[in-house]
Amino acid sequence: MLINQRTRSRAAAGAAIALSLACVLTSCAAPGSAPGGTEQTEAAPGFLAVADEALTGTGALTVQLDYDTSEADGLDPQTAQTDTSWMIMGLVYETLVTTDENFEIQPKLATSWEQPDDTTYVFTIDTTATFSNGRALTVDDVVGSLERQVASMSVWSGQMGPVESIEATGDDQVTVKLGSPYAPFLAALANTPAAILPMEEVNDGSVDLTTTMLGTGPYLVADHRQDESWTFTANPDWHGGDNLAVQTLELQIVDQESTRQAALREGSTGMAKFVNIDSLSQLGGNEGLQIVKQTQSDLYYVLVNSQKPDSPLNDQDVRFAINTAIDRQAIADIVFAGETTPTGITPSNLPGACRVDELPSEQAAIEDARATIEETGAGDVELDLIVDTSNPVMAQIAQLVQQQLAEIGVTVRIEQVDTAIYIERVFSAQPGDFDLSISWFAGYSDPSMVTKWWNPEQAFFNVGFTGVHEDLNALIAEGASETDPDARAEVLTELCASADEYAEMVPLVHRPSIIGFDTTAVSPTIQSNEGYGNILRNIADYRIAG
Amino acid sequence: MTTYSLPLSKRKRAVKTRPPRDALFIAAACALGLIVLVAVAAAVIPFAGDPARIVGPRLSPPSAAYPFGTDALGRSVLARLLEGTRTTLVLSTLAVVCTAVISVILGLVAGYAGGWAREVIMRLSDVLYSFPSIVLAILIAAVVGPGQAAVLSSIVLVTVPLMTRMVSAAAMSVAKRDFVTTAKISGVSAPVILFRHLLPNVSGTIAVQGTYALSVGILVEGGLSFLGYGVQPPRSSLGLLIQEGGSYMLQAPWLLFAPAAVLVVAILSINLIGDTMRDRLDPRETRSLV
Repeated sequence: MLINQRTRSRAAAGAAIALSLACVLTSCAAPGSAPGGTEQTEAAPGFLAVADEALTGTGALTVQLDYDTSEADGLDPQTAQTDTSWMIMGLVYETLVTTDENFEIQPKLATSWEQPDDTTYVFTIDTTATFSNGRALTVDDVVGSLERQVASMSVWSGQMGPVESIEATGDDQVTVKLGSPYAPFLAALANTPAAILPMEEVNDGSVDLTTTMLGTGPYLVADHRQDESWTFTANPDWHGGDNLAVQTLELQIVDQESTRQAALREGSTGMAKFVNIDSLSQLGGNEGLQIVKQTQSDLYYVLVNSQKPDSPLNDQDVRFAINTAIDRQAIADIVFAGETTPTGITPSNLPGACRVDELPSEQAAIEDARATIEETGAGDVELDLIVDTSNPVMAQIAQLVQQQLAEIGVTVRIEQVDTAIYIERVFSAQPGDFDLSISWFAGYSDPSMVTKWWNPEQAFFNVGFTGVHEDLNALIAEGASETDPDARAEVLTELCASADEYAEMVPLVHRPSIIGFDTTAVSPTIQSNEGYGNILRNIADYRIAG
Repeated sequence: MTTYSLPLSKRKRAVKTRPPRDALFIAAACALGLIVLVAVAAAVIPFAGDPARIVGPRLSPPSAAYPFGTDALGRSVLARLLEGTRTTLVLSTLAVVCTAVISVILGLVAGYAGGWAREVIMRLSDVLYSFPSIVLAILIAAVVGPGQAAVLSSIVLVTVPLMTRMVSAAAMSVAKRDFVTTAKISGVSAPVILFRHLLPNVSGTIAVQGTYALSVGILVEGGLSFLGYGVQPPRSSLGLLIQEGGSYMLQAPWLLFAPAAVLVVAILSINLIGDTMRDRLDPRETRSLV
């Protein structure tokens, strides 16, 4: 027994030494790269990479992602809530329209559309499209899918706007009438939750959308192991053409950033997505790898819980003081090495967005914020700032926010929790079981889409930590219904200021995506700008060496 | 019958080639002492600065201005390393003290009382011992919630079973000796026998087990913090620093090197000290070439 114990202790010491030395020696021996920002040039206007048309091969591509789809309603695209779900489901399902590299709306299943007036959209449907079971797409599928979405009362149904009627007005024509003008209507149709479903099969019960994916898109699901992998094979009947180079697509779920880096470096994946901005420089020096930073309209934000009983954050002045103390530019410079930019609630890279430097909190004095905290006694209470361990960037932002709030006398205790606990405490509990938190929103391609989340009666997920403000809600609605660009910009500026003063969800900076790929494995087309987190948006254009 | 012994000259040479146990012990004690001294001194005199404060550009390599470089937020790695070492050592030591108290009580009772008391205590220890230590630690952290309380309770529950077994075995052996029987016959109460007669005789076992528990505690703290269940940022610990440094292994190896080196030296030193103590206290294990 004693000898075993000695052996154990030596083994423990040996293991510790071996592990630590292996890590250290690996790090010393590997080629380093200079820290700091990177400069990248576009392969073509609006594109970080453009597939080499000279490559004519076909084959398999492996892509590593940080997390899997995880919706309670399974694989039903209409209830999908995260960008990864939209991207994965978007390989099988298609929408009427899509967005391009400039956030402009482009045709997809709708080959064209007309807008005879501010409230009417007439779509011409591509009737050559077929579902992967061989049945041709009909206007009834389009009408049924959109009606199902509008009636679903899901988070996305609110994004569809004031839809009055959806009718088939010809063999290949669908007309949607709105109750009032709604500027982000096409942008809402461009996301996967507005995908066109096989309504005949859904209605007759032969397809259960929560467990089966049946769409008109370029890929079919061959295998799925939750939180491990997806395997897709090319849809031979896809209406987009039969020249898909990536015939087999495997998506591997690898939550550790460093593991994805290692996989890309040693060639076990052809492409990977990263959240840590330093991946740009960490992988940049490797031969055969290309690393690009895709600008997103997505934004990180601080959740300030105004609904927790007896919290100092019930006081709007305290929340505004906290907002004032948060230095967005410092977060962009320090956490993101200057590779991103601050934003208000309208993504600053979308047309008509408000100016960050004009926000009330940006113009307020830090001394006033400090005085508010002192007068209200908010500094006497320690506030919890909880972050999800799955995204290391959030912990870095949290630490910087903690320091910034200390400047005005607010004490913050950071708590890292796993994703399940994070969702329960932040989004499920009512009132939310936290004081402060960090999260992020997709930014989409129209500024009025993300602003809808500032209205808890439409967003639902934030009723546990934000209040209902009629004036703010009116501005959100006005921003969405105003179609004149100049007038809309004015409304959005007012809306930004109002949300900034309520300070329940405080936008910080844009959330860039870092995409790395092995140039010997794939020649991809990657847009410079993306609003729906879909790094595989152009996968049909990818090329592989023969 | 023939006897064989080495000639005197060879015996002298053999003695000289014995592993330099004392030298290793002294080196280990010095290394551990130095780590503890510097970590504690930094708390009293903050010569390395505020570990939470941003002092310079992010990911600066080691230089005269930043002796151990800066991390991804521009904080001094030296200041964070000293804070992290202190946190890890304090948490592990506190946990081992708790372990010792619990194990001594359970072990003495099991060893002295025997019967059903021993069966219950030993089987409970077996149950806890059957779990891999890091799995048990994660389970506890998930229940208690991330933070220092999780680290403390995890280390205690991971180290208690082994120490209880060892103390129980030693106590059972001592309990059969004449002076204990005499004390029983004389009507001395059980608590007095346990703590006045048994405890001093198992103190060597407790001391040796304490050193092993300390090294296991440091490893468990490192593992939990590495997984995000341990010490929460911005406070640092060796495990948390290694976890943060792992992401920057290629770009900024100094972030990983410093905490990994301290962890290695601390665990190695503690184990060497424990081994030496064990050799001294248990002559059966003493090795000799002659």
